[in-house]
Amino acid sequence: MPETKPSPKPDRTWAFEPAADHDLPPIAAMRSVRREPGFFNFLSHAAAEVFFRVYFKVYHRLKVEGREHLPRGTPFVVISNHTSHLDALALKAALPIKTAVYTYPVAAGDVFFDNVASSVITAAFINALPLWRKKATTHALEELRERLSRGHSGYILFPEGARARDGVMKPFKAGLGMLVAGTNIPVVPCFIKGAFKAMPPDRTIPRPRRIRIRVGPAMSFEHATSDRDGWALVADEAQRAVRALWPSGGGGGG
Amino acid sequence: MDEAIKYLFSTRGALSHPVTQFTIAFTAAALVLAPATTLVLERMGRLTDVMRRDIMSRYYTWLLLIPLMIGPILWCPLAAMVMVCAASFLCYREYARATGLFRFHAMSGMVGLGIILVFLTSVDHWYRLFLALAPLMCTVFAAGGVIPDEPKGYIQRVALAAVGFLLLGSGLGHLGYMANDRNYRPIMCMLILCVHLSDLAGFIFGRAFGRRKLFPNTSPRKTLEGHIGALLVTAPVAAYLGHLVFPETRLDTPARLALLGLIIAVGSQVGDLVLGSIKRDIGIKDIGATFPGSGGFLDRFTSLMVVAPAAFHYINILDPFGADRAGRLFTLP
Repeated sequence: MPETKPSPKPDRTWAFEPAADHDLPPIAAMRSVRREPGFFNFLSHAAAEVFFRVYFKVYHRLKVEGREHLPRGTPFVVISNHTSHLDALALKAALPIKTAVYTYPVAAGDVFFDNVASSVITAAFINALPLWRKKATTHALEELRERLSRGHSGYILFPEGARARDGVMKPFKAGLGMLVAGTNIPVVPCFIKGAFKAMPPDRTIPRPRRIRIRVGPAMSFEHATSDRDGWALVADEAQRAVRALWPSGGGGGG
Repeated sequence: MDEAIKYLFSTRGALSHPVTQFTIAFTAAALVLAPATTLVLERMGRLTDVMRRDIMSRYYTWLLLIPLMIGPILWCPLAAMVMVCAASFLCYREYARATGLFRFHAMSGMVGLGIILVFLTSVDHWYRLFLALAPLMCTVFAAGGVIPDEPKGYIQRVALAAVGFLLLGSGLGHLGYMANDRNYRPIMCMLILCVHLSDLAGFIFGRAFGRRKLFPNTSPRKTLEGHIGALLVTAPVAAYLGHLVFPETRLDTPARLALLGLIIAVGSQVGDLVLGSIKRDIGIKDIGATFPGSGGFLDRFTSLMVVAPAAFHYINILDPFGADRAGRLFTLP
């Protein structure tokens, strides 16, 4: 008699999961780390993504080396040196488009989210999440870490904490460690060259300079403890990995 | 075509009907008296600080919403339809974010398409397609839900989209379709006025006499006395306004007007309970936070999404909407 296979038990759980920001008024939601993009935000973000891809390809002749190391699924953290406002946009343009729509650059709240208009533009078109630098405590980063651990997001993060105004890479801060220490979330090191010449901190209109991005293999910081020593270890290892991508480059100015 | 465009932008007789005049006078008086009454009650020591803040946050919400709702209705039929379409989108946004459906962009896109089609069929005065959109869109959701090839959660996604569209797209869309009737201003004003009168009466009667909970699990703050009070106030007012709006029509008999009043009064209460059920099922206090302290758009339109289709079809049987105007104004050659 042939053996009959038991049919798999269907999963009948009705999972209602409200948006993490559903209790916030629209503008407050845009300025919150808990923001979850909806349909229109998805459309505006996707449209901006297409535009920036064409822009970087045509205007900055963007070249990406080591593309095979770029993440193809969430969660992840892409880190890089930081010399220009173009950096986050260039890194997003380098990512596979399916990954890019779930990627959130972590941007300075006091610069990009300080008024309603800039908050709307940054949230709707760049999909950035704010990090209020004066309040960037363990608690503030805990929300970012929690969101990352839920698995639906990837971050672009600049561990130097601010743009290097002379184009030379600065020591990494402990914030990255607070996000990934003790987890197996892949951290992808990148080095951006040319963005400083294209748009240094004192310029508002970018110059048509070539931008190159080198991508290194993903790192994991499962071995690091989530305390001050662990965060310092993460910062140190990540900094060395980024610097090693362009040993002669010094700062991103090139 | 010219005739249709002329109608859609027609501003003639915006304030000529007594029900429209009464609605404006009543809401204006309420907006003026509310802060004054609050101030008096506060001086008399009858209001706590929390209550005063609650009342004032609701007041500011209405100060913003009333012109946004009544203004387009008074302006022209097209503006009224646009207002209802915008309300459908804003309500759906809150519903989708509360239920989690917003994470399925394709489903939300299809619901959005359905809301736009409801609007376009209203503008076109294409009654048959307007009615057919409810089953057609449910078919689209069922078919579209297959495309991602993810059977897990299929029923939930499709059901959430169908309920969202039926209540907020098609249901609320009936209010917009009413603008195809030359008498649409007093009809829409009557419905909006009665729905909010029901809310107010329920609140006052509930506060004054409320003892027994009617649906303690669905809406713990609402009492049987509040519901009865709302019905006793709203039904006669709706019936009387109905007499003024539909004089000498098949609807203008005491029994039929009483039934109209009952439909509006019961529908207003049901709408609130429907929203209460959705919120309790999800496990959230407020479905939106657009208006700090007083919820979101869905809290304001929840009764209309039930009352609009119920009243529309009852009235339509006896006195068809837009019967004196040709249908399919733009789509027929």
